[in-house]
Amino acid sequence: MKRGVPLFKMLRRKQLTKKENQLETTKDAHGFPIEIFLDVQKNIENIQKILNTPSDLVTREFTVGNTKQRCAIVCIDGLVDQTTINDKIIRNIQLGMANSGKEIPASGEELLKEFENHVLSAIEVKKLNTLDQVMQSVLSGDTALFVQGTDQVLLIGSKGWASRGVNEPSTEALVRGPRDGFTENLRTNTAHIRRHIRDPNLRFENFSVGRRSKKDLVLTYIDGIVHPDLVGEVKRRIKTIDLDDAPESGFIEQWLEDSFLSPFPTLSPTERPDKVCAALTQGKVGLLLDGTPFALVAPITFGNLLQSPEDYYERWWVGTFLRFLRYFGAFLAVFLPGLYIALVSYHPGMIPSKLAFSIAAAREGVPFPAVIEALVMITVLELLREAGIRLPKPIGQTIGIVGGLVIGEAAVSAGIVSPVMVIVVALTAISSFSVPSYSLAITFRILVYGMMFLAAGFGLFGLILGYIMINIHLVNLKSFGIPYSTPFAPSFYADWKDLILRAPIMMIGKRPIMMQVDDEKRMRKGGKS
Amino acid sequence: MKSFEYGDEEIGSREILYAVSSMVIGVGIFGLPRTVGSVTKGSDGWVSILLGGVLALFFAWLVAKLASRFPRQTFLQYTTTLVSKPVAIFLTILLAFHLMQFTAYEMRTVANISKVYLFDRTPVEVIALLFLLVVTYGVACSSVGLFRLNLLFLPIVLLIAILLLIMNIGYFEPGNLKPVFSTKWTGYFQGARETLFAFLGFEILLVYIAMTNQPEKTPKAVMIGMSIPLLLYLFVFIIVVGVFGHTAMIQLTDPTIEIAKEVEVPGEFFERFESLFFTIWIMTIFNTSALAFDASVLAFRSVFPKIKRVWLIFFLAPIIYLFGMMPPNLIRVYEVGNWLGFSGFIFAILMPTILFGIAKLRGIKGNA
Repeated sequence: MKRGVPLFKMLRRKQLTKKENQLETTKDAHGFPIEIFLDVQKNIENIQKILNTPSDLVTREFTVGNTKQRCAIVCIDGLVDQTTINDKIIRNIQLGMANSGKEIPASGEELLKEFENHVLSAIEVKKLNTLDQVMQSVLSGDTALFVQGTDQVLLIGSKGWASRGVNEPSTEALVRGPRDGFTENLRTNTAHIRRHIRDPNLRFENFSVGRRSKKDLVLTYIDGIVHPDLVGEVKRRIKTIDLDDAPESGFIEQWLEDSFLSPFPTLSPTERPDKVCAALTQGKVGLLLDGTPFALVAPITFGNLLQSPEDYYERWWVGTFLRFLRYFGAFLAVFLPGLYIALVSYHPGMIPSKLAFSIAAAREGVPFPAVIEALVMITVLELLREAGIRLPKPIGQTIGIVGGLVIGEAAVSAGIVSPVMVIVVALTAISSFSVPSYSLAITFRILVYGMMFLAAGFGLFGLILGYIMINIHLVNLKSFGIPYSTPFAPSFYADWKDLILRAPIMMIGKRPIMMQVDDEKRMRKGGKS
Repeated sequence: MKSFEYGDEEIGSREILYAVSSMVIGVGIFGLPRTVGSVTKGSDGWVSILLGGVLALFFAWLVAKLASRFPRQTFLQYTTTLVSKPVAIFLTILLAFHLMQFTAYEMRTVANISKVYLFDRTPVEVIALLFLLVVTYGVACSSVGLFRLNLLFLPIVLLIAILLLIMNIGYFEPGNLKPVFSTKWTGYFQGARETLFAFLGFEILLVYIAMTNQPEKTPKAVMIGMSIPLLLYLFVFIIVVGVFGHTAMIQLTDPTIEIAKEVEVPGEFFERFESLFFTIWIMTIFNTSALAFDASVLAFRSVFPKIKRVWLIFFLAPIIYLFGMMPPNLIRVYEVGNWLGFSGFIFAILMPTILFGIAKLRGIKGNA
């Protein structure tokens, strides 16, 4: 610090810079003033200038009752519910005030207060005094009410746009279980969760995501169950998100995940409210993004991805059986083509002799080695799947006929592939469909290729090394601090009751130990006495 | 993120238990019945195995006791307090080289046996290289990851071993066990010495106990961990003798894999059980090699803390490959195996005993 500068001069300088800053902040990025003027007309002109008078901007000026007090409402057509504006705002102000017999206050401030307290019959009303906040609110579907002579603005909640109704989630269909799924509407989705969990400790925390889109992202968890550090970490990661727009929760997932190199998902997308609620009661957190029916659940482990809500809804024998089946399916989905290649090209001795003869007879005349055959068929299968998704539904059936009949049957009778190969590929496809998590199933479809190459190069030796490599990756991968292979390793044997086995509901008395929850007990063993 | 305690680089006594078992169970089991059988008569080898096993158990306990006396101290740190710093550095580097040689030997043996049982055209060099690459990948990821792999793989490996034993019961001929107790007493001790070699590997504890958060529980965990291979070896030996008879057994290079050849899988949905058995066994051999490699990296890092872990691994891996590929034929590989047994004897038995003696005599305890 320089000597000799008088103290009051320094203070003055500080004050000056402060003022300059203030002047700067009253303009937005494009140089438009963001302060609210006392004159209604001026405000509306300003807004029109900022938005460049779009066709969906609705501005309506009117006078209160039979006085000269001027007001204006501003909203975006299509985002608002017009009957709300008619019935709850305009009618009340124009008729209600005139009929009430009360004296209409002359100053703008008091009139605004009167509106807020007595006149408007909407539930959601808030007062704002900077234009950027007002704009933000209007652009997300609220209605702004300007009153002559005050720089306060009333924002009335009038959101109402065309949205899809609650449907059955199409990607996670169940035989037994609730049929409702999330929708594109954030409020409907939070309501789903509230309806399932009526706990006062259920928390919803709002974040705004996207520089341009400014979408609502809601973090939800149950306070008192969840590990506080987990919530802290999720929040920290959410705050690092810097996107223009987040059209789907996949953007959030990719931004939050632990390793972008890993083929395995570390957050689990779901359309099912019951799945999110079950995760919350286990001490996990959920993320809901406005505009998508896919919520995210974190953290997850490998075991979680092979579980389905149905395991719990059916009786425990059924649940356990289904889980065993799925683990077997997951194994086949990754290793079956590789095993076939390894056995046929390196270890034909391991196949029982009778079977070996029939395989050899079937392969008679096939011009390619088993690897090429398998690669071609698996790739064709992937193409069929991709094509099946893209095609419109009425044509979609054609792909079944073309794929099943033409490619399968014709390729066999033309002698290009052996019928055994078709069986192997079909089994692999069926197995990968049995994996309940779509994102994990895709991972498996990628891994199949790696295993086929290893098997082609090194037979069983290559396959076991591939298995070891997948395991190395899984034990080192983490999802929000939790090793992906928990509770297998690091082992929490108490959690094994609900892993491959699904013990009777009464016996799973504790929340997963691996989540290190605050409130461990889920129930009293044996129920209420 | 540090919120979940088990998520970071710490291990408990359960991990130590599994690690000791996984480390000891490796390629040693394949030839064990032959080496023990060649110095004993009839089925007397089990006495040698028991004797050697109990000795190994004792020394493993000693190693655990020694290392857990100095909680959270690396091998280098506590040997520095016991003997002087230069000696400690010398010992650490020697130990690291021993462990590298261990990895190299396992790698070479896997490659050799794979060539015999899985494929005969692929060159040994390629098989070994592939195996070492996977081991390097595992080590480069993290130490704690290897411990988790032990937890995953050991149950599968033990399951296939038990399956092998059960399926051979049908071929078991009690007559093959005779004569009983006809070996000279020197033979038992020779057999015990051979067995001791198959139990080596627990010297990794010297390095790893620094990572555990429950040092007081480790000696017990180590004892349990060592009993698993002991029981396995006993059962395998008795079944092998019962199936092949003594004379045939000592003629086979790897009798333990050969008994898998006898098996017929019920339902006959596949044949050649030995290929499957060996394939699964690669999992535990991987664990052994990876732990030895990782322990040697840790030992080197304690001497040269400034070198990055990944660089060290990339530097050591080619050296290990050269070590493993140096012996030109099978006979030389067995010679290397013998030398490895000898250096293992020094690091697992002789050195810990001396260090433990010094610690006891001078009354040095680590400040926990």
